[in-house]
Amino acid sequence: MDEAVEAAADLFARRAYDGVSIDDLVTRLGVHRNSLYGVFGSKRGLYLAALRRHVEQDVRPHLARAAQPEHMPAWDFLLVAAVDRAPDDPEVAGLVSAVLAEVDEATGDPRATEVLLGRWLRGRPDALRHGEAESEVPTIREAPETVPGKEI
Amino acid sequence: MATISVQGQDPVVEMNGLDKLWSLKSRLTIPLARVRGATLDPGILGKPKGIRAPGTHLPGVITAGTFHQDGEKVLWAVRDAQKAVVVELADEHYTRLVVEVDDPRAVVAMVEQATSR
Repeated sequence: MDEAVEAAADLFARRAYDGVSIDDLVTRLGVHRNSLYGVFGSKRGLYLAALRRHVEQDVRPHLARAAQPEHMPAWDFLLVAAVDRAPDDPEVAGLVSAVLAEVDEATGDPRATEVLLGRWLRGRPDALRHGEAESEVPTIREAPETVPGKEI
Repeated sequence: MATISVQGQDPVVEMNGLDKLWSLKSRLTIPLARVRGATLDPGILGKPKGIRAPGTHLPGVITAGTFHQDGEKVLWAVRDAQKAVVVELADEHYTRLVVEVDDPRAVVAMVEQATSR
């Protein structure tokens, strides 16, 4: 099931929550619809599991690099969640806030966190153009890194 | 069509009009602790539902009643797939409910709010 959660995180990082249907998830994850409901309870249950996994695997291990001035974080799911779901879902809001507080600690300055988030936001249009050139579905993950060496 | 409301703190599912007849159920109260979540899922209607007993199944018109599949028991009451909400349960008579409601987004939000409280 961990692979399924990883695939879900990948999908949720690239589309708004409401734009991901159970059909999309069943197809992408390669799991039976009934298993999806049986294991996660709901789409939201799967979303939360995927977001927690993203935070544990893609965000927390790389907090130290957040302080580097040119670093572009590969935290798309976290940041999309902050925009898309945090206003509607208290659990998502709590998790996003907690992680941003950890980023503040890592950078030593909340303003450095804001610069980092601003840099990520300004990179979005480029990420979209790049993604369209590479595949049918625009993928944020294929955003060019400003720092050599992929962080995955 | 079904109506899902939260009475006290427990979700209550009530079948409206003729759906009472088709699904052979009129009202279900589910302890909040046994509700695992709710999901808007228009795509579920087109999938295999298992063996129906008892209930009504006129493909393309109405799916209502109890369906058995892979050891799971699912209560269906859906005509309009676009309004189908899946409510997953734990340790209940039914594994899940697939019911049509008037405003599926509002119902999903209400159940999520009740269960994550």
